[in-house]
Amino acid sequence: MKTVLSSEWLKLRSVNSTYHAIGAAALTVVLGIAWTLYVAALADERGTLRAAAPEQGFLPLVQMSLAVLGVLTITSEYATGMVRTTLVAVPKRSTLLLAKAGIIGMATFVAANAILLLTYATSRLIANGRHLGFNQVSFTDDLPMLLASGLSVTALALVGVGLGAAIRSTAGAIMSVVALLFVLPGVVTYLPAPWNTRVATLLLPNLVPQMAGERLSSRLGDGFLPPWAALAVLLAYPLVALAVGYYELRRRDA
Amino acid sequence: MVRRAAAPPPRILYGVIELHHLTKRYGTTIAVDGLSFRVEPGHVTGFLGPNGAGKSTTMRLILGLDAPTSGQALVNGRRYTSLREPMREVGALLDASAVHGGRSAYNHLLCLARTNGIGPTRVAEVLEQVGLAGVARKRVGGFSLGMKQRLGIAAALLGDPGILMFDEPVNGLDPDGVRWIRDLMRSLAAEGRTVLLSSHLMSEMALTAERIVIVGRGRLIAEATVAELTARYPSLEDAYMALTADSVQYGAAR
Repeated sequence: MKTVLSSEWLKLRSVNSTYHAIGAAALTVVLGIAWTLYVAALADERGTLRAAAPEQGFLPLVQMSLAVLGVLTITSEYATGMVRTTLVAVPKRSTLLLAKAGIIGMATFVAANAILLLTYATSRLIANGRHLGFNQVSFTDDLPMLLASGLSVTALALVGVGLGAAIRSTAGAIMSVVALLFVLPGVVTYLPAPWNTRVATLLLPNLVPQMAGERLSSRLGDGFLPPWAALAVLLAYPLVALAVGYYELRRRDA
Repeated sequence: MVRRAAAPPPRILYGVIELHHLTKRYGTTIAVDGLSFRVEPGHVTGFLGPNGAGKSTTMRLILGLDAPTSGQALVNGRRYTSLREPMREVGALLDASAVHGGRSAYNHLLCLARTNGIGPTRVAEVLEQVGLAGVARKRVGGFSLGMKQRLGIAAALLGDPGILMFDEPVNGLDPDGVRWIRDLMRSLAAEGRTVLLSSHLMSEMALTAERIVIVGRGRLIAEATVAELTARYPSLEDAYMALTADSVQYGAAR
């Protein structure tokens, strides 16, 4: 297992797409700075305002970019045929999938938290005592939200690994991630009440505020799930995706 | 060709490939139909058959890439997928283009080597051996087919295995490369290794192989030494043509 982990780590580091994906996620820092400069200028004109925190507003960018990293770790092997070379070297499917998941899990967790913290820090520094709404609580109060956000990125990247193994095509797997992240939450709001709220509380993007014990949104109201339950649901996503991915990896010929 | 200047301590290289009633069905088509034969050490075994005869599928079954519908393929008495460090027992080149084009030759090989606990020194060694040391840091995507074949052969040699399997390794190689492969195959066999080599080039096969296995429509047609075949027919090519006359599925009108 250790040998396969070190191989997967080198695989991740030795292709450009990894740096493109992390670079795209890191755009969040730049966007966060631009956003804060903009709302800071507005605040200088009008005084107090209530702006969204950039590390929350741009979270979907981090989630999407690093989910693509998770997808590519396996679908790029199918696209190039490398997977057959890999499976000849590592014939045990479970070892291979676990190693890929382990490396993607670690890499995305570190990258996501670094990006989110950097966005957080730069925006608070730029805000510098202005009343922008998002910068008026202490870091310790924001910490649950930050941790939940970072965790959601890793969970989604692992969902990407599982879906990649199950679907094998980059486009197909990325479409599924997009559906999970952006399409489903939109569709669910059209369900008849109270099902719209009930289902919405289980969707991946909505789990982040619930884990942090915050309001879901003005429309959906407070989340139905206590933080621990939201965390359990979040963990269920990658577990189910990886289980399906493993099943398909074993069942189908390479 | 001298494979190594300083001979390593003698090592018993004993490897056997055994097929027992190996069968693979894809839907209604039978790719491999009750195939049984043994490949033994000490000589190059040529694996011949018309297009679609099941040669590549048989190799994929041996390597555990595809699961057999029935029967089994064993290497050294065990199923390939149960080997802990398979590259140390079997080296295979199935499809030279099954590599990630974005990775350098060195990193590609090191990724594979690490999975089986093989160090970077050995990677440098095989790169030298196949003549790619000069382009080790170049991206594989820019390689010609011949260079990719050399890279694939380097990967097969990484674990210094007792069994080697090559599917059409001379495709895309220049005359110098063809001769190099021929000498390499023969010297690997002379070292006591088991070499299974598929090719459509009869003249090449006559020069390289000592034993021949001919398949057609997934079934065994003949298993003989080259000497036996050339004694009964004017040439190996004539023997092949006569024996596979009924098995050509995708032939032009004659």
